[in-house]
Amino acid sequence: MNKNKEQLLNKRYRAERRFRLYGQSAIFMALLFLTIFIFKIFSTGYSAFQKTWLIVPVNFDAEMMMIDQNPSKEDLQDADYYDIALKSMADLDQNANDDQKNQLKRMVSYFFEKEIKNEILNDPSLIGKTKEVYLTASDDLDQVFKGNYPRDLPEDQRRVSDYQLKIFDQLVAKGKVESKFNISFFTYADSREAELAGIASSFMGSIFSILVCLMIAFPVAVLAAIYLEEFAPKNRFTDFIEVNINNLAAVPSIVFGLLGLGVLLAIFHLPRSTPLVGGITLSLMTLPTIIIAARASLKAVPPSIREAALAMGASRMQTTMHHTVPLSMPGTLSGTIIGLAQALGETAPLILIGMVAFVNTIPGSPMDPAASLPVQIYIWAESAERGFVEKVSACIMVLLGFLIIMNLFAQIIRHKFEKKWN
Amino acid sequence: MKKNGIKMIKIKAKNVDVFYGKKQALYNIGLDIEENQVTALIGPSGCGKSTFLRCLNRMNDVIDICRVKGEILINDFNINDKSCDVVRLREKIGMVFQKPNPFPKTVYENISYGPTIHGMAQSKQEMDEIVETSLKKAALWEEVKDRLHEPGTGLSGGQQQRLCIARAISVRPEVILMDEPCSALDPIATAQIEELIDELKKEHTIIIVTHSMAQAARVSQNTGFFHLGQLIEHGSTDKIFKNPDNTKTQDYITGRFG
Repeated sequence: MNKNKEQLLNKRYRAERRFRLYGQSAIFMALLFLTIFIFKIFSTGYSAFQKTWLIVPVNFDAEMMMIDQNPSKEDLQDADYYDIALKSMADLDQNANDDQKNQLKRMVSYFFEKEIKNEILNDPSLIGKTKEVYLTASDDLDQVFKGNYPRDLPEDQRRVSDYQLKIFDQLVAKGKVESKFNISFFTYADSREAELAGIASSFMGSIFSILVCLMIAFPVAVLAAIYLEEFAPKNRFTDFIEVNINNLAAVPSIVFGLLGLGVLLAIFHLPRSTPLVGGITLSLMTLPTIIIAARASLKAVPPSIREAALAMGASRMQTTMHHTVPLSMPGTLSGTIIGLAQALGETAPLILIGMVAFVNTIPGSPMDPAASLPVQIYIWAESAERGFVEKVSACIMVLLGFLIIMNLFAQIIRHKFEKKWN
Repeated sequence: MKKNGIKMIKIKAKNVDVFYGKKQALYNIGLDIEENQVTALIGPSGCGKSTFLRCLNRMNDVIDICRVKGEILINDFNINDKSCDVVRLREKIGMVFQKPNPFPKTVYENISYGPTIHGMAQSKQEMDEIVETSLKKAALWEEVKDRLHEPGTGLSGGQQQRLCIARAISVRPEVILMDEPCSALDPIATAQIEELIDELKKEHTIIIVTHSMAQAARVSQNTGFFHLGQLIEHGSTDKIFKNPDNTKTQDYITGRFG
């Protein structure tokens, strides 16, 4: 008898040890995947935050720019920079033939004319002088410099010619190639040229979408939750509504995209590709999430607080507004932020309402066309150029950072403002 | 309290039936409650004494499935009448609950809440006075006067319950309902509350639901005994405890059941 009991006890201990092991291995697996994922993204993406510059001497020759020696501001604006830009690049190799000159030109971004222009707008006294100017290297040379480009490929399979590589190597040897922090990644809009593509448009697009989403979803959801939880009679009809709110939370997001397309664009003719439409569509998606969070936190307010207020002669409205709602706010807010974080990462509905369009301007309001961060990732992931590979990972890093900050904020709100009751 | 030898009746309940859905919780209750006296409602768990108490300030309204029938006259006005305004009623009839339930706000805000929503103070000074007198009447002033702006939930259990009593009397109610106010408290805190009840009955009519027979005997002048939704017997506490008419009352009081 005693022996049996001991066996049973040992069996129970073994079961517990096994269970712990399962749990630990599950957590280990999750952490492993997360580490691989993060490592992959960081190792691919970190180089996007560096940008390669060629330092090229430019002779600001007034005659070539077709201006006189003391030009006005307007003259400088209208001056012709293409010729001196072209000449500066061609001068890198005195013996270059026409084809080689063309190749030399393609070693920098098509933006080089503008970069030279900015230089002289900042310092008009440069006229007639020669100065070394930083020009954005083409995305292929950028990749070469970062070591991401296979130089041993046969020349006809490479976008960089042997001649370009030769000149580039000479520049590197002379210390005329520099890598600096890539500010333009954050300040430029999208571009077909990887070296000039930035996330400013999609970042602003995401911010505007989220703001529109917040402004619509939060008040509607909170009012709905308060009404359902505090005022609505409990009957079949309200049960039906509750079930459907939960169903709504489980609807695939692309369905909301179809709704946005079919109703907002087709019937109401709201401007296509804008954060306004994106935000409204996302708000439909976020609505049930916030309602559920808000109702849960209203439910968590102890009934004794409501009774205390009612027994003091507070009306139902006063009880709700003075006591229940303020006490439920931390939970509601953190639920809202989680909902917004979900919306921030949403791609499918935005593609359907046209936020996938190529936008090379930075939106100034929710009514301007824009992309959003996840859609930008999608667009870049589809692009063929090698320069976009690191950009995809960098954009994911920005999006993840954004999400982590939002979730952190939700946690802080929950902990800081949560009042303890008994 | 007697005026010219006649008992002053504050609350008169007639034929009160209460239903939770289809289940009947109270059967035909008729009870008179005297002004400026303490009336104790005793009985075993689930006998309906708390339900009856909650009828008196219509707190049962909060429960969707609860229906109350019959007349409850307070100052000869039927509170179950449609014309009765629940907010005004609850201003007149204060309530203290079983578990101390101060608002998660400061001590000061806990007291000032009632007077604020009922517009009883015109100035900060008046409000300060109301808070001070309420806390003094609840015998809590000396303990909290230096921490008025600290959270009420930070007080001890007994202090919290006295805070709730202070909150209830801040709007100068005519009647105070107490639903087992000492059940969550230790004997010392209980003694303080009982002392307080004795003091409060000078200005308020008090109805207290209690599980403790000793407490009923100590604080009340009148007692009603409930059993299975019926009011078995009521009368002066002296009589109920020493010479009850009904054998059930006798059995309960002597501890044979309940």
